[in-house]
Amino acid sequence: MSDDKHDLHSPAPMVDEVSEFEVLELAVRELAIEKGLFTKEDHNRWTEYMHTLGPAPAARLVAKAWLDPEFKKLAVNDGVKASLDVGIDWINSMPTNFGTPSDYCNLRVLEDTPKLKHVVVCTLCSCYPRPILGQSPEWYRTPNYRRRIVRWPRQVLAEFGLQLPEDIEVRVEDSNQKSRFIVLPVRPEGTEGWSEDQLAEIVTRDCLIGVAVPKPSVTANRKRPVRRAVNPYHH
Amino acid sequence: MSKPHYDRNHHVEKATDIGDPQCFKGEAGKPRFKVGDRVRVRNLPDIFYTRTQGYVRGAEAVVAELVYESPPAEDESWDNTENVEWFYSLVFKMADLWPDYPDYFPNDTVETEIPEHYLEAA
Amino acid sequence: MAETNPDYVALDKEMSGKNLDNSPIELLERIRRKGRTWKDLSAEYGVDNPDPPWRINLESTCDNLAYGHNGPLNICRPVDQREEPSNKKVDAVERRWEEDQLTNELYTDVPFPERQLLALAHTMIRRGLFGERELAVQLKKVSDRLNMVDGIYQEEQISNTETG
Repeated sequence: MSDDKHDLHSPAPMVDEVSEFEVLELAVRELAIEKGLFTKEDHNRWTEYMHTLGPAPAARLVAKAWLDPEFKKLAVNDGVKASLDVGIDWINSMPTNFGTPSDYCNLRVLEDTPKLKHVVVCTLCSCYPRPILGQSPEWYRTPNYRRRIVRWPRQVLAEFGLQLPEDIEVRVEDSNQKSRFIVLPVRPEGTEGWSEDQLAEIVTRDCLIGVAVPKPSVTANRKRPVRRAVNPYHH
Repeated sequence: MSKPHYDRNHHVEKATDIGDPQCFKGEAGKPRFKVGDRVRVRNLPDIFYTRTQGYVRGAEAVVAELVYESPPAEDESWDNTENVEWFYSLVFKMADLWPDYPDYFPNDTVETEIPEHYLEAA
Repeated sequence: MAETNPDYVALDKEMSGKNLDNSPIELLERIRRKGRTWKDLSAEYGVDNPDPPWRINLESTCDNLAYGHNGPLNICRPVDQREEPSNKKVDAVERRWEEDQLTNELYTDVPFPERQLLALAHTMIRRGLFGERELAVQLKKVSDRLNMVDGIYQEEQISNTETG
């Protein structure tokens, strides 16, 4: 993720020093491999797997769907099957081996159109498609977002910087049972001829939750401004 | 009600390599509603646990999709998996949920999943 | 007041009976005293990643020790290509329990995840998975390699341990 604070052209800062802990980590790992406790392949592939627990597979799924109409059909009809093509096995994934960390594995891919915009919430708790999106952002779990997005969706979306015309249907998807959801946004203009890699890069986590739409130049999530409720919800 | 039992593994055994809700497929019988039907969410009493939101109770909606078969959460929370039923994805008009939802946005909707026994024909 | 998890109480009882050796290990004490933590380094170099780059490798080592050769790897394989895990050497719950004890007694002032790493090395030595001397030799090898300047030091050794 890029950081607004740094100049676009200067390299990101890095730690240019080897610490004793870094050395210890590597030494422990190498000894364990040398002793045959596990193999290099065990370690490499598992580390890689843990690295990919983030929105990357879902972004890839969207990019593929934009490029391949047949794959888009599969994604919308059977999200679990389509996930296999981006390396996510909902049925056999960690940690329970029969589904997501919350045990359910019915992924639904919500297709936006020029007249329909989806946004996902779980008003009852904070259900989230973790196998394909990683951990949810903190704001997604707050009562503020959960309570207000279903009641004043346009106001909350505007807080994320997304203002939608009146004639577009905003559809709030309240993830309350065993389905988990990601949004398949409309492919933005200005991306004609782009490769799958290029397209995947602009499908940010926020686009997949539905609080943002992809733009050719944006590859990072916005920081969510904290605002007080203008129209608090009361029964 | 099923009789109480303390077998902690039955769900794992049923769902491994198949998935949940996939493991309940075919157990619900014939669905009562079809895509396009207008339904109303019943305001049923629940003991301690429910996943049927307060704000949809009493409201009318259109069936968008029959999503899967499963015991309702209200039963499953008590480890009762006998009554597998159809789950429906319903689309509600915002205006039907919130009387003061602004008129400028008549198309806005909420979609959510509700088990069959909470629904009646509208 | 929150209720204590009964499983944890049982584990506490069981582990207390095992007479875990919490006495300091000189080699690790030296790292505890001299080692610079990620908290310091990231502040000094202006890096905002909350975790050191090696943390994910440490997690992977812990998972592989707990679930054994082929254990975690099976998750990445199709169901029909999985193999029976072997060599489960450091149970995850036991390791965390030991980490808690060691943190209370020895590594109190070490932040996370450095303390997890020290505790892991500690328990592996005490369990006899490798010796203090062996670890010292390996530390020297790794340190020489990471601090080399000409860039051609023992290439085959590096390709043995780099992760993808």
